[in-house]
Amino acid sequence: MARSLWTGSISFGLVNVPVALYSAVRDLDVHFRQLHGKDGAPIDTRRFCSEEDKEVPFEAVGHGYELDGEQVVLTDQDLGAAAPRKTRTIDIEGFVDVDDVDPIYFDHPYFLAPVGEAEGNLRAYQLLVEVMKSTDRAALGRFVMRTKEYLVLVRVRDDRLALTTMRFHDEVRPTKDVDTGGRKPAKKQLDAAKALVEALSADWDPSNHEDCYRERLLDVIERKRKGRKITVPEPERAAAGPPPDIMAALRESLERARSGQGFDVEDSEDGDSDELEDLSREELYERAQKADVPGRSSMSRDELVKALSE
Amino acid sequence: MPRSIWNGTIAFGLMTVPVKLHTATESKTVHFSEVHLDDGARIEHRRFCSKEDKEVEYKEVVKGYEVSDNTYVVLDKEEIAAAAGGRGKVIEVEHFVDAEDVDPVFYEKTYYMGAGKDGAEPYRLLHDALEATGRAGIGRFTFHDREHLVAVRAVDGVLFLHTLRFADELVAGSDIDVAEPSRGPGKREIEMAQRLIDTLHERFDPERYEDEYRQAVLDVIERKAKGEEIAVTEEPETDDSDDLMAVLEASLGGAKKGAR
Repeated sequence: MARSLWTGSISFGLVNVPVALYSAVRDLDVHFRQLHGKDGAPIDTRRFCSEEDKEVPFEAVGHGYELDGEQVVLTDQDLGAAAPRKTRTIDIEGFVDVDDVDPIYFDHPYFLAPVGEAEGNLRAYQLLVEVMKSTDRAALGRFVMRTKEYLVLVRVRDDRLALTTMRFHDEVRPTKDVDTGGRKPAKKQLDAAKALVEALSADWDPSNHEDCYRERLLDVIERKRKGRKITVPEPERAAAGPPPDIMAALRESLERARSGQGFDVEDSEDGDSDELEDLSREELYERAQKADVPGRSSMSRDELVKALSE
Repeated sequence: MPRSIWNGTIAFGLMTVPVKLHTATESKTVHFSEVHLDDGARIEHRRFCSKEDKEVEYKEVVKGYEVSDNTYVVLDKEEIAAAAGGRGKVIEVEHFVDAEDVDPVFYEKTYYMGAGKDGAEPYRLLHDALEATGRAGIGRFTFHDREHLVAVRAVDGVLFLHTLRFADELVAGSDIDVAEPSRGPGKREIEMAQRLIDTLHERFDPERYEDEYRQAVLDVIERKAKGEEIAVTEEPETDDSDDLMAVLEASLGGAKKGAR
């Protein structure tokens, strides 16, 4: 189990349960390290005092804030004094219907687990899980973690208390200036659009969607490691204006959706030769062996590409 | 609306809707800069080569991926961009789902979508169709050289674009160890807690919740600027009582008194 990011207690009425906070998201991103181009050695980042030109240990770093042109310096202790209770307690202020909370407010999901073995605490945690499981309501509360206050929603997921940090209302911009388009569509058009949406509908199944970017990035790294050339693919589909005849586009789409035809605008068939361009001479030679290309051993890389694409 | 951060097309079937994206959220957290406690001077982050122990200029820095201990594959910007995905300026809707079926944990970041050039009519049409069917479009789009899974929803006249987390990024509850009590909560305790929830039930009104900590931090800054000593004031702790029933009863009494 990953280490907890915060420990404190969740307080509901006078019920107080010591809990630890764990992230419900694991970082699967492909991370790069900064290296020195010349010798490939990792780069270290060091903190320097801009005035003394000397390295500064982490303990000697404070928080600076400019107030009316004057620099105010705060220590961690100063910041801790801003709201001491909130740094230790998630205070539940009320219960709301989960459906009333628009996803725009959701930020990061976490889990809460009880801390310690005390029977009373474990039972109080279980009580919260049992009660919240049987309602569509979620607890609304707030707490402070790492010098930031969070409005949080606590509900049950997978038989655990699940906490989601939320944005405050003034962190969500108004929509009044968004250009939201024209007049109400005609009934015939709206009916056709609704029918198309339904025809293209499926059940939400998150496991159907994989992070292709992560896979492609790892693939690029692997190709580079083998010494292959990396080429940037052309955009598959350029941005387009609206269809000249909306009704015709809806009808045609609906027909294709119902008959199971795809919507590929154009098929590019020359993908094969692009791929050859990416291979090293060694790999090209292997393919040439398989294809029994005559004279392959004396061919250059480019000649191999040419022979293989014929 | 301030300027858009992306212009493109959202496509479903053969329908294309020119759209532009706007930032929908912004952080209002009080931001500090790192300063040296001894003299209040700004802290600079400087890059050093770990081998030569010498400062390195930014233009000498490359990005490497560690394939095994201390072995890095170096990629330049274009090579990293090669993985971005070839979808160009199009948000391709793969299918529509019931908007309510998408659990909140999947939602990551939200953008507002506005109608692009000549897009007014089809924008309205897509919005109204999503609103009438209660569906959200699920698709992919590439932004800042990274492909995202997204959901498009109709919310009070505006199309929202949410980036979504992938299923394998989410930690399952079974990965979080929770010790079981030897005796679970009793029926009366559950009923009592339910009543407490009902008493504390309210309509979600985001404007009721201000970031009080933000103000508290600004107050501390102001006091510090006046040269005041900042001390932590201890607040009374609530009792850790083992009698859950008694605590619930007392809470319910308090909550009812608090309610109008």
